[in-house]
Amino acid sequence: MKCAESLRTQAYFDGEVDAMSAAEIERHAEHCPECSALLQDLQQTRTAIRRDLAHDRAPSELRARITRALDQETAVKSERRSFGWGQSTWRTRAFWVGAFGGIGSAAVAATVAFLLLSPSLDNSMLDGLAAAHVRSLMPSHLIDVASTDQHTVKPWFAGHADVSPVVADFAQAGYRLIGGRADYLERQRSAVVVYQHGAHVINVFSWAAQRTLPKNTTRNGYRMAFWKDRDLEYCAVSDTGWAELMGLVRLLQELGARDAQE
Amino acid sequence: MDEKRGRFEAQVLPHLDAAYRFARWLSRSPGDADDVVQEAILRAFRGFDALRGSDVKAWLLAIVRNCHSTAKKQQQRRAFVPLPEEHDAQDGYAMIATTPDPESVSIIRDQKRTLDRLLSELPEEHREVLVLREIEDMDYREIAAITNVPIGTVMSRLARARAALKARWLKDVEGEAREMR
Repeated sequence: MKCAESLRTQAYFDGEVDAMSAAEIERHAEHCPECSALLQDLQQTRTAIRRDLAHDRAPSELRARITRALDQETAVKSERRSFGWGQSTWRTRAFWVGAFGGIGSAAVAATVAFLLLSPSLDNSMLDGLAAAHVRSLMPSHLIDVASTDQHTVKPWFAGHADVSPVVADFAQAGYRLIGGRADYLERQRSAVVVYQHGAHVINVFSWAAQRTLPKNTTRNGYRMAFWKDRDLEYCAVSDTGWAELMGLVRLLQELGARDAQE
Repeated sequence: MDEKRGRFEAQVLPHLDAAYRFARWLSRSPGDADDVVQEAILRAFRGFDALRGSDVKAWLLAIVRNCHSTAKKQQQRRAFVPLPEEHDAQDGYAMIATTPDPESVSIIRDQKRTLDRLLSELPEEHREVLVLREIEDMDYREIAAITNVPIGTVMSRLARARAALKARWLKDVEGEAREMR
């Protein structure tokens, strides 16, 4: 025999009733074995489902597909120039992403991507860098190779990106190396180094040197600092203040200078 | 970056995991789910300007559901004959069950797998309300909007879905107990 109050009891369990009804239903359940058993069942089922089934995440391949599809959609919409970033295809290669799903926004990401750009593309390049920065902050999008060891990250790029950026753990200075990522842009393999710094985020991009660098600037609220080091150009993108951003830039420049002497 | 794209990425893409989970539970196939989600995100982007209000997650899940039913109809029209509801899940189960080593036995008993299988065996209208309520934490009003039925129907479907899941769970536990003897 089904208790006539069972739907209300369920609604109470789901938080769908006001305080007065809630009190009524609580009183009812005290005397109705059926409804008190129902409340237990509901709680058991909820606990089991939320513990076991609620944690699937969109695979990074799918995120990359969606990013490309949106890139195309945006390109069609605005009928941008047919070269450069309008149809750019940033594709994240998903090798080790799962290991770092939880990093999320608590991370500082230093992103080093290698881009082939013609000198006239400043604006779209800045847009592209900001977009790539935002994308890197989406869950499961940050890291392919999870490591705090430069000797793991740097060789990984050798296999997955065409150029080898400077990589080091600056944990003592507050910039902790947490991994790397590979992206695709314009049929070119590119690489991403990821750092963590407090609760803020920094992206450092890099590409084969062949153009005049834009001045340091702010784009969509993200600060961008540019510099050149031998055959690579770098761009640090961040939602931190300039001081924090330039701190990492200086460390990377010093590291590059030391490397050059060796 | 395009201004609309920026807003879209900030407001809609945080719900991509939810969209993916919902699509997985609807289609019960990762490959189909990927296609459904991609299509849904594109449609959402095209319709983004028309979105009013803050209920972005429910809006996106409703689009996912539409894309899923469109995809399903197309599959059926292509004279693709899907296995009956219970079949694929049970085949998967049987495949595991034929491996006799103790590890596999413990895998079979693994609660997550069992729950996963039991939920995926439920009829779609039960599955979707359960997933929306318990996994995506949607309230009755949102579930009603997403599944396009009155709130009263949401309530009775939820009750039936929960009862059905529990019944299957008990049956499953009994079956296992018999096997152990």
